[in-house]
Amino acid sequence: MSVVHHPDITTLMAFSAGTLDEPYALVISTHLAMCAACREQIKRIDLIGGALLDAEEEVPVEDDAVDRLFARLDTPKEAGDTINVIPKVRDVPAPLVRYLPDGLDAAPWKARGGGVWTCDLPVSANAQSRLMLLKVGAGRAVPEHGHGGHELTLILKGAYKDRFGRFGPGDIADHDQDVDHQPIAEMGEDCICLVAVDAKLNFRSRIMKLLQPFIGM
Amino acid sequence: MYAVVMSDTTPQPAHGTAPIVDPAELLSRIAEQKDRQALAELFRLLAPRLKSMMLKLGADSALAEDLVQETLLAVWRKAHLYSPERGAPVTWIFTIARNLRIDQLRRLSNKPYEDLDGIDATDDTPTGLQVVEQQQMVSRVKSALETLPDDQRQVVKLSFLNDMTHSDISAALGIPLGTVKSRLRLAYGRLRPVLEDLQ
Ligand SMILES: [Zn+2]
Repeated sequence: MSVVHHPDITTLMAFSAGTLDEPYALVISTHLAMCAACREQIKRIDLIGGALLDAEEEVPVEDDAVDRLFARLDTPKEAGDTINVIPKVRDVPAPLVRYLPDGLDAAPWKARGGGVWTCDLPVSANAQSRLMLLKVGAGRAVPEHGHGGHELTLILKGAYKDRFGRFGPGDIADHDQDVDHQPIAEMGEDCICLVAVDAKLNFRSRIMKLLQPFIGM
Repeated sequence: MYAVVMSDTTPQPAHGTAPIVDPAELLSRIAEQKDRQALAELFRLLAPRLKSMMLKLGADSALAEDLVQETLLAVWRKAHLYSPERGAPVTWIFTIARNLRIDQLRRLSNKPYEDLDGIDATDDTPTGLQVVEQQQMVSRVKSALETLPDDQRQVVKLSFLNDMTHSDISAALGIPLGTVKSRLRLAYGRLRPVLEDLQ
């Protein structure tokens, strides 16, 4: 898979620092599953956290801290104590499988009109933003829209073009607020994207404005 | 070698007396023999630093102690997952503390991070770096961080240590979000030659 469009370096830094909201972290994680170059990049960025921890001053811990730790060592194992090699479910990269266990086709798509379907994916109750799948019919356009905030779009299947270029499987569009674009899905195959948004999408087209209350964007 | 990295706090032991504190060695003793003494040594080496980091999250001393305990408990349980491919021990332990923060403080799933471990484990492009080289890298990144302009180092630390989002940093410093990002970008640009020196 040849990935052309990667996340912004500041987005990768936030991922490494652990400060992204869950939908964004999941989109980045799914990109990393599809992009060896960014997996290497993340290892380099992780060095920043390691170096900062190494450089931390030392604050004395309680005298009985080691004993308290020893007392807890025999508690049962927990999930995450072993490496989970999650089998790729058909067309779903590993980190996304938890959120979409039955594959893309089985997703509960909701038709939004104009050849656009969406599907909200469940995230932790504490998440402040939204994770969803977006399917754009082959040759159809996503209405021109600006962004109310940081938006990450990862192409899972198919491809689209906009003024930033062609986005195919594994490519990620990392857009800040105040970016306007109008993606058009390529002919031949529906384009399916994994999207994290932190604010209501500001759709500008008249039709989408009509649809907006219905879509709940 | 780690004594070089930690030279400010951990004096080089005299030959033949105290055991040399090599965290990678401690991790492998934990993984292979469930060696509690190794865990205690790792605790002495890193718990005070981890506590300092946890205190930066706004945690009081008791909560910070708890988070340090949780981190070392996770290290005990996951030690068999460590390999030099994953960076120096201190880097790996940072990511464990980070995942704990996501789970316990943000109350969000850290599975997007943990599920990547399985991909790394089957990765066919190993970096080939030995743990000694990884520790030297940490040392060089530490020095490089010290040479960053204050405003850049500040946003990097607020992000990685204080667990603040870019928006949080923007609000706390009273600067636009775009400025936070441009400082991070500049910081990365300055660190890049060190970070990308994969020998
Ligand atoms: Zn990438």
